[in-house]
Amino acid sequence: MQKTADTSRGSIAGISMDNQEKLLAESLQNVRQHAFAMKRVLDQQSVMEGLKHAANMLGELRTSLLSPKNYYELHVVVVEELHHLELYLTDEFEHGRGSHDLYEVVQYAGNIVPRLYLLITIGHVYIRANELPRREVLRDLVEMCRGVQHPLRGLFLRNYLLQCAKSLLPDTEEENQEENKTGTILDSLDFILLNFSEMNKLWVRMQYQGHTRDLNRREQERRELRILVGTNLVRLSELECVNVERYKTIVLPKIMEQVVSCRDAIAQEYLMECIIQVFPDEYHLNTLNEFLKGCRELSPTVNIRNILISLIDRLTSYSTRDQQNIPENIQLFDIFSEQITEVIKSRSTMPSEDIVALQSALLSLSLKCYRDQFEYGNKVLENTRQIFDNIALDTQVTTGTQAAKELVKMLKIPIDCYDILDVLKLNHYKLVLQLLSYRERHTVCMYIINSILDKETIIPTAEQVTQLFDLVSTLIIDQPDGSLEHSRQTITNEDFVEEQNLVARLCNTFKAINDPDQQYHIIKTCQDTFKNGGLERMRFTYPPMIMQAYALTFRYKDIREQDEKWEKKCQKLFQLSNQLINTLTKLETNDLSLRLYLQGALTASEIRSENAETIAYEFFSQAYTLYEEQAGDTRAQCASLTLLIGTLEKVSCFGEENHSTLRQSLTQAATRLVKRPDQVRTLLLCTHLFWSAQRVDESTQKSEQIRDSEKVIACLKKAAKLIAQVMDQTAQVQLYNELLNSYIYFFNQNHPDIDINVLNTLIEKLQSDISKLDSTSSTTHTSSNDGDEFIRSQIQKTFDYLRQQSQLEKFQGLQINN
Amino acid sequence: MDILGLGSKVDVEFLLDPQGQRKQIEVKIDENKRSLQYIYYDGEDVNGTIQIKLKKNSKIEHQGIRLEFIGHVEMLNDRSTVHEFLNLSKLLTFPGELTESTSMDFAFQNVEKPYESYIGINVKLRYFLRVTIIKRFSNNVFERDICVQQLSQFPEINNSIKMEVGIEDCLHIEFEYNKSKYHLKDVIVGKIYFLLVRIKIKHMEIAILKKENTGSGPNIYAESETIAKYEIMDGAPVRGESIPIRLFLAGYDLTPTMRDIQKKFSVRYFLNLVLVDEEERRYFKQQEIVLWRKQEKDKDKSKQSAQQYAHYERPEAATNKSEDNGTGANSGENSSVNGPLSSENNSDIPSD
Amino acid sequence: MLVLVLGDLHIPYRVSGLPQEFRKLLTPGRIQHILCTGNLCTKETVDYLKTLTADVHIVRGDFDDNPNFVDQKVVTVGQFRIGLCHGHQIVPWGDIESLSMLQRQMDVDILITGHTHKFEAFERDNKFFINPGSATGAFNALNSSTIPSFVLMDIQQGSLTLYVYQLVNEKFTVERLEYRKA
Repeated sequence: MQKTADTSRGSIAGISMDNQEKLLAESLQNVRQHAFAMKRVLDQQSVMEGLKHAANMLGELRTSLLSPKNYYELHVVVVEELHHLELYLTDEFEHGRGSHDLYEVVQYAGNIVPRLYLLITIGHVYIRANELPRREVLRDLVEMCRGVQHPLRGLFLRNYLLQCAKSLLPDTEEENQEENKTGTILDSLDFILLNFSEMNKLWVRMQYQGHTRDLNRREQERRELRILVGTNLVRLSELECVNVERYKTIVLPKIMEQVVSCRDAIAQEYLMECIIQVFPDEYHLNTLNEFLKGCRELSPTVNIRNILISLIDRLTSYSTRDQQNIPENIQLFDIFSEQITEVIKSRSTMPSEDIVALQSALLSLSLKCYRDQFEYGNKVLENTRQIFDNIALDTQVTTGTQAAKELVKMLKIPIDCYDILDVLKLNHYKLVLQLLSYRERHTVCMYIINSILDKETIIPTAEQVTQLFDLVSTLIIDQPDGSLEHSRQTITNEDFVEEQNLVARLCNTFKAINDPDQQYHIIKTCQDTFKNGGLERMRFTYPPMIMQAYALTFRYKDIREQDEKWEKKCQKLFQLSNQLINTLTKLETNDLSLRLYLQGALTASEIRSENAETIAYEFFSQAYTLYEEQAGDTRAQCASLTLLIGTLEKVSCFGEENHSTLRQSLTQAATRLVKRPDQVRTLLLCTHLFWSAQRVDESTQKSEQIRDSEKVIACLKKAAKLIAQVMDQTAQVQLYNELLNSYIYFFNQNHPDIDINVLNTLIEKLQSDISKLDSTSSTTHTSSNDGDEFIRSQIQKTFDYLRQQSQLEKFQGLQINN
Repeated sequence: MDILGLGSKVDVEFLLDPQGQRKQIEVKIDENKRSLQYIYYDGEDVNGTIQIKLKKNSKIEHQGIRLEFIGHVEMLNDRSTVHEFLNLSKLLTFPGELTESTSMDFAFQNVEKPYESYIGINVKLRYFLRVTIIKRFSNNVFERDICVQQLSQFPEINNSIKMEVGIEDCLHIEFEYNKSKYHLKDVIVGKIYFLLVRIKIKHMEIAILKKENTGSGPNIYAESETIAKYEIMDGAPVRGESIPIRLFLAGYDLTPTMRDIQKKFSVRYFLNLVLVDEEERRYFKQQEIVLWRKQEKDKDKSKQSAQQYAHYERPEAATNKSEDNGTGANSGENSSVNGPLSSENNSDIPSD
Repeated sequence: MLVLVLGDLHIPYRVSGLPQEFRKLLTPGRIQHILCTGNLCTKETVDYLKTLTADVHIVRGDFDDNPNFVDQKVVTVGQFRIGLCHGHQIVPWGDIESLSMLQRQMDVDILITGHTHKFEAFERDNKFFINPGSATGAFNALNSSTIPSFVLMDIQQGSLTLYVYQLVNEKFTVERLEYRKA
């Protein structure tokens, strides 16, 4: 071999990224010019000239200056123009004018790239015109393309070949007898598989050309081009004569041979993924062992995890789609389980997050494909725990690591595809959960509860409640590894509040539908668990229990005919509630306890079991005590007193003695409130305690309204007296209006001592007060003008109402000015 | 010849193929001039009619009219040397006077024409008919060239050309051409195997070189001409790749190989395989091929068309080797390369 | 103009959440205003309502701790003045006369109250009274079998169409009522 130097022409290897747009524009311009010339001479029926222009046009594809992306742009345009030539030649043959020697003629083209593009184009036309034998020409084309060893140009050339061959590939078992040498499916397989391996080799080679500093850019460019290689596999999958058998014996082994031997991680990852995605599920099912064996032979830098997960996911969704079942003879779970074990074993450096991700995929497969076989899922969980124990026994996975994140994902799988009652059957679930540190455990527990709430799953037994609490204990009791969190676990921390509200909501899903005794057990179980959670949690967890206890008493009452011990059971529930509320009183605010006591009083009153009055009284007096302790917060006290009054008005189980004590206390409490208007308003509310409120008549044991008209009047008068002491005239007028309304109320209720004259007196008073208000407000309280205006209109409404009522006989004698 | 007859009263026309059955060929005389010539083969008769045309009302007195059939070699760089190897002569008319146009038939039978007509750079091998109207002072001479083509038989031995060549630790290839002797309408089929590639090859081409040697002794003129340049590979292959070669000859201006014709000249053909690396260094290997002229059969279409996609199939043993792209099975062979090694310093043949 | 009226959700103390059937129905972008009678009782529930529309009006129920909630509120929609009050402050609870009094004091065309966990809608003296019930069907000591319900008001200037959604024995019912301002 001889060698000469020609140093006059310095060449620059590699692609400059500058000027790319300009270079592309120039190339495209040239292509358009040549294409235009080509089309013009073809219009004049000059084939040879046309070929010459086509070759010139194709010469633009010889460039080494364009980036892959821009080369692609150029290629698209050239191929489009080349299509004109193809159409022209095809047309010639259809009209019997085709020349026969073009396949040879174009081979004189001096440059290989244009020559091969032309050869492919002519070959395509000739095969379709039946001018040349299909099998030979296809074989020739795919062989001749070996001449282009430049990765980028070779890939695009072979892509064009594949594109042209698409409609030509024989897809029959037998030779067509009439035409000669049409070929069979086997020829198509040879063709594509050869093209595939050549393209893959070119693609892999890109990795090793050029400067190492461009490695990242090159890898990126390679990724952009991968579809060109993958198209071969797509083509294979489109052949009808490729059945499971052929796939297993020819297609897959050949592909795998190339994939394994190319030893390139990018190619291996992509092609394995490609195989999984383009071929049908049935094929994968029948070649699992072959495929997985191939996986083990891949380069150590290949992310095997993604490949396996992709396959598992694909088969999993196959089996869950349209009730497709995995054939009995294919032990999907066992095969994957073994192979994954092998893979993990063979890769000692595999990061634990990858191991977990693989186990996750397997878990997903076992849960979705074998819904009824809990032992599979359980086994995966067990193995996962085992793997971590083998690394370091009873050690938690450090928070925030990838492994921790993958474990969280894994633990979410059963929650997503099962309801919680089934998850509770996976007894290794908890053991895997315990691998996690506080933060991730917290995440999973929140996820579990949210899922239960979303699905509205009902937890029907105390036993299941116990198991569930065991699982989500991170949220329920203080954690040894959560000490950092403890300081933040108060009502002022939004996250904590959100978390505990979720637990509280969860409690409402514990429902033993037709079994009150079971419900009782559930409540007891909750109590036993929640009592260890600390006062800050109890604020959230106890109220649902208390309300459930109240609700349960109604259920016992409903079945009082069947359950003779119902009253005892209610008694126990009230006692339990009392105890729970009592614990809550230790909280800095006793609002909540007060309301819960009042609800208890109402409940007891409605249940009317034995001792109901005692219980109701106990609850009510506790509430009253708490009210008294609120001294200092006037607004809260006023609100609480209002609630006490409203509640007492509805509690109907008290005898006169108890009721009298309570209504007196509340009335006195009203007058003891700090602000006059509050005194007046609550006092006006108290009037109802002497009128529509009910007590039990001791002799008849029946409820009756109190209807103590004197006390009503006393309250109203007291209120009037208090109003008179109000300094602010505006407020005073407003309160008079409210007083008038109260009088109207009792007038309507036919109170014996309130007649139309009483109303007239009040109306007169009010009217004069308004006029006083007019004179003063204009001079002094300019700022409260709006308030005055509102009050005037309020009073006006009252007068409007009265005017309306004055039509009625009852209101005859009403004196009211306009 | 017209130019010589300008202003003269007489012109001669050669009618060689009155029935129009003989093939003609366009012969390139020089860059601008083409002439249509009849094709003759060895041993064929050369016959026809000579028409002597006189201008009206003129007459020619002559010493006789002679017809010769001549084959000779002209050395173009030395115009004076013409070596005649064939001269057949006939007297068409005895001395007398021509008063009107006249026709005369002639025939040279079974003429031996031992060489192929050839027009080269420094040499011309011509066959022609010459009519001489002998006159007292200056003769009137008219010539007409014919083209002789030399048909050969299928060569009995026609081995493939196969060779391993390389530059140590740099490049190591093996190439094969399917034959060593090709007829003029043949197709060269072959393959290149890359056994070791440590240089960045940019592309590879194959060229057909024609070498014309004329003269002898101290006055040898050697001319080399690139008839065809044909890219067979684009880009850089890696070890284990094999690149197909397929080159049609029919489209190029080729002659049969001629060796030592009349001890005056030779015309030989070479295939030059050239690899160009990214620094534009060229690595090449020349290999002589013998070209011969095959008798054309009218309908050989089927065979012709099969050539369009002919591939060179390797012998069994070699095939195995090409697929062996394992780790360095061939790397140890660098030192035992069969072919000659040349660096750019001792290269004696320009590649282009 | 669609106005969602609901209240007494009592999440999380009495129920785990709004029934799925209701959640499916209540999609963002359809409702312009929300009037809530209170007892939500958590920030999460308020946030949920705010996902449905930005304009949310809430008054304080007896189990609400949020100090920003007021006891009464008047909102004007179309030609209607609408009063909003939880109702535990009105004694006797749910009493029509007392409600009328409040309606006069607030000077509203429509008075919306809750607390009883029982849907009600009636016209009195040309004024309209609505109690949307409990949207979650939360337990109530005075009304042990609560039916989940809420109300959608379609207000077109002076006319009001009421759609009452109820979940009776897990079956979804819708009722339509009309009211025109005098």
